Amino acid sequence: MRNKIKVFRAIHDLTQENLALLIGVNRQTILAIEKGKYVPSLDLAFRIARYFGVPIEEVFIYEDEEQNKS
Amino acid sequence: MKKNTFYLIVGCIAITLVGLFWYSDVIRQPLLIEIAFIVAVAAIYLIRRQVTDLKEDERDVKITEQAVLRTMQVFWVVFCAFSIGAVMQLLRAPSFPRGFHMEPPPILPELLSPRMIGFVQLGLLCLMIFLYVGFRIYYAGKYGGWETDEE
Repeated sequence: MRNKIKVFRAIHDLTQENLALLIGVNRQTILAIEKGKYVPSLDLAFRIARYFGVPIEEVFIYEDEEQNKS
Repeated sequence: MKKNTFYLIVGCIAITLVGLFWYSDVIRQPLLIEIAFIVAVAAIYLIRRQVTDLKEDERDVKITEQAVLRTMQVFWVVFCAFSIGAVMQLLRAPSFPRGFHMEPPPILPELLSPRMIGFVQLGLLCLMIFLYVGFRIYYAGKYGGWETDEE
């Protein structure tokens, strides 16, 4: 699962800390999601997308692991 | 309540528990520390709910869940292995083959005296703590635990 949180953060001029506060999670969670180490729940993914005012698929891009291997 | 106040209270509870452990050993009343431990854990849970700046999000919950799950998976195997040994002693299982002579089964040496069981329990307790801490560190790292960002 790829995501464009970093891009949207830059557009909205937000730090990880600010976004984390607005979404209601820890900064480490935002960092882990951005780095692809942690896949957020649907609830959190929707909250992030709604905050940026875009559809969820614009922020999170699902990639099939099999596709990635080939 | 602030986070640091909560940690301070937890420290005080821990010190009290150590004192009670010593005292219950002096008066030879293990029930005292057993009840005190349950009360202390319940108190910590209740106090924790009053903390305002201790945020636990879904990633923290997932790390805790994974660590607990793996700890239990390893722990139950070790615990069952020990328990099987204890049950064997209870049954005083004979050695095989016994042959045609119906001799009484040999009496096994008393490996699991109450004192020995205490040592084994201590070992299991330490194992559980080490496993949990180890798995927690592992999963915290796996889900991006201590990385710093370039922002």
